[in-house]
Amino acid sequence: MKKRIVITGMGTKNAIGGNVSEFARSLREGVCGISQIDLFDTTDFRTHKGGQVKDFDPRRSIPEEFSLKRISRADALSMAAALEALTDAGLYPLQENIKENMGIAIGGGAGGLLEAESFYADLLRKGKERSKYSQLSSLFCASSADRIASSLEFSGPRATFMTACSAGATALGYARDLILNGHAGIMLAGGVEPMCRLTYAAFNALKSVDEDVCRPFDRNRSGLSLGEASAVLVLEPLETAQNRGAKIYGELMGYGVTCDSFHMTSPDEKASGAARSMRAALADGGLTVEDIDYINAHGTATPVNDLTETKAIKEVFGSRAYQIPVSSTKSMHAHTLGASGALEGIVSLLALSKRFVPPTIHWRERDPECDLDYVTQGARRAELRAVLSNSFAFGGNNTTVIFGRYEGQGAIHE
Amino acid sequence: MSEHRDFPDNRRVVITGLGMATPLGTGREEFSRRLFQGESAVDAVQAFDTGAAASHLGAEVRDFQPRDFISIKNLRRMDRLSMLATASARLALSDAGIAVTAENRDRVGILFGTAFGATDVTVQFEDALLAQGPGAANPILVPNTVMNAPAGYASIELGFRGVNVTVTHFAVSAETAVAYAASEIRRGTADVMLAGGADILSKFYYEALSKFRGLSPDDGGPEGAHPFDERRNGYVAGEGCGLLCLESLACARERGAKICCEITGAGLGSSPAPPTAWPRDPEGFCRAFLRALKQARIDVADVSAVMAAANGSRVLDAVEAAAYEGLFASRAVRPWVTSIKGALGESFSGGGIRACALALSVERGCLPLTVGLERPAAPLNFVAGKKVKTHLKHTVLSGISFGGACACLVFSRCE
Repeated sequence: MKKRIVITGMGTKNAIGGNVSEFARSLREGVCGISQIDLFDTTDFRTHKGGQVKDFDPRRSIPEEFSLKRISRADALSMAAALEALTDAGLYPLQENIKENMGIAIGGGAGGLLEAESFYADLLRKGKERSKYSQLSSLFCASSADRIASSLEFSGPRATFMTACSAGATALGYARDLILNGHAGIMLAGGVEPMCRLTYAAFNALKSVDEDVCRPFDRNRSGLSLGEASAVLVLEPLETAQNRGAKIYGELMGYGVTCDSFHMTSPDEKASGAARSMRAALADGGLTVEDIDYINAHGTATPVNDLTETKAIKEVFGSRAYQIPVSSTKSMHAHTLGASGALEGIVSLLALSKRFVPPTIHWRERDPECDLDYVTQGARRAELRAVLSNSFAFGGNNTTVIFGRYEGQGAIHE
Repeated sequence: MSEHRDFPDNRRVVITGLGMATPLGTGREEFSRRLFQGESAVDAVQAFDTGAAASHLGAEVRDFQPRDFISIKNLRRMDRLSMLATASARLALSDAGIAVTAENRDRVGILFGTAFGATDVTVQFEDALLAQGPGAANPILVPNTVMNAPAGYASIELGFRGVNVTVTHFAVSAETAVAYAASEIRRGTADVMLAGGADILSKFYYEALSKFRGLSPDDGGPEGAHPFDERRNGYVAGEGCGLLCLESLACARERGAKICCEITGAGLGSSPAPPTAWPRDPEGFCRAFLRALKQARIDVADVSAVMAAANGSRVLDAVEAAAYEGLFASRAVRPWVTSIKGALGESFSGGGIRACALALSVERGCLPLTVGLERPAAPLNFVAGKKVKTHLKHTVLSGISFGGACACLVFSRCE
């Protein structure tokens, strides 16, 4: 029988939570984290809002023993989340025997591009000789996993996934497999996405950003809200977790990865890729649609995504599609791209362990084609057995992850 | 000795096709001919002006004709990295004799590694954005700035809809991708996986590598690629793509495919290292190496040859040589060690090309020589001066990255 892999620790920085418990409270209360951003000047942009991590001071979240020299925002956000997750799991400070088999899988995003843009702007102004190339040392997104693993002296595998908006979810799935295949004992897995000018300009150039706040599944939805976040989870075999008396948020039941093979920036209108991804995750977990009690939607609030995703859910779930809640928490924390799959993994595990369904906020008017139960009137208390979380991306990359409630020793009772 | 034969055929992963677009040519025939002839692709960079850098050599992919492999409709939107990847994907499938059809397309996938992605496109986009403002940002370029573009374009051009994942972990991006792809085959989530990686040379990236003092000559001496050589003083930057076509032995047998070799093991590990520096401690690499052997159920004594990561960097080559000296210390006969980075340069996800080279080596029973190695800096059994013809039973592809990540793969003759 396949080993069961559980989640024993979580950490995050996002627009509605400086840590996991604050994040849980905000999700329940339907807090909106989308507002004017101030990381860079948005004057010349068409839009000005986003889900920024406000008041982030790396030193307040990362102890003195870790150098912050040349650290990028992305690396600092992910390091903070990693330390929170390890502490939450009761693993920090790390013991030598744990380090040896500890690995890390991170869904990457813009990496150190925010800092590189400052460098590049300098370079354009002042010329090559006077620019500080050291500002580029954390440019690429693999830097976050390296920084965390080197600082904490892991000897296990390291990998960074770059499947755009599904990267965080993909990292969770592969982290599970690295444990199942014997490559690692315990894995840190998650995603990080910093805001930067390139991303902001890119989505604006594609005209896929809502000037106000995103309104997932609403009839008049007109685009997404861009966000940033770090989200890191601790994955380990159930047996290991029980032996060390860890608390358990839930189980990673299954995941599926597929490709649209259709268009680089638009989903397949027939929703085949999204439907196949959900089916692959169900099959991987040995589950049926009857086992799923809540869908944490990709729900970006672009006209085409929400329509396609609704179609795909109906195709896979049949009549059950109308019986289970489907919500997009991006309405609160915005679309955190490379981090979103991991961040929404945390949402799913909070929903399971704290027994609630987070809402879709900002929804105003019913779309005749988006006719599922989108939880538009606030959070609900609910006993959930399993939660399915979707992440779909540019390049036609789809990933679905399913988390299950855990009932035995170490279960969280709230 | 317990071997992989103990596994059922659907859990054994074999390489049935190779596709590549490299500085030593495009496609299996040209690449293997030039590789085993000991040709070097290192030359003065032609694609851009290197005047602003302290180095001028590179190993460029020249004479590559994307039109031979990619439809005009898709080609118009693609960047160079995506072209190299898509062409290699087509070549690998065709080398394996696999046609993507409506029946099999959901079971064909790709695991693609790239260290830096399309740095040329990102710079082009940022140039317009930062110099002229957001209004000048070109939406056509947007998808190509993301590292998953090559795998996305390849899937669109070739029609496969299975697992599609891009991995980026600097100099072990491709090795990691191959390790994951093999596990997808074993897990049964795909019947056919393309796996490997690509990186390209671009002006900005070349200048940055030069500023970070990675490129030869880091000491003001003569510029050149000399893996494991006493004279080494940095690496020469390269580019290119290499993709393997993987399937289960059961699948390959059923369709009567020719089998190049078997992937019997993968090992992943790491050593702490500063962000842009090579690890100075061989321990993480040794761990990855031994984990790979363990998965392959073989002992160090069973290794016939190693395709090394060494690229001419003082630190990397010394650490890797020290690792082998330790690993092979108790053996009477030492395995052959070769590095093709003297001929092809360091292209970071060159693990894809190196995997193709190692697969060809096992298939032919022949190891390519380490171009640029004349004065060995370590007492290892180097393939230097000329190629070596020998039966290769178990071989290891070694991957070591700056930053500290390590990944090793075991390629074995498929018995």
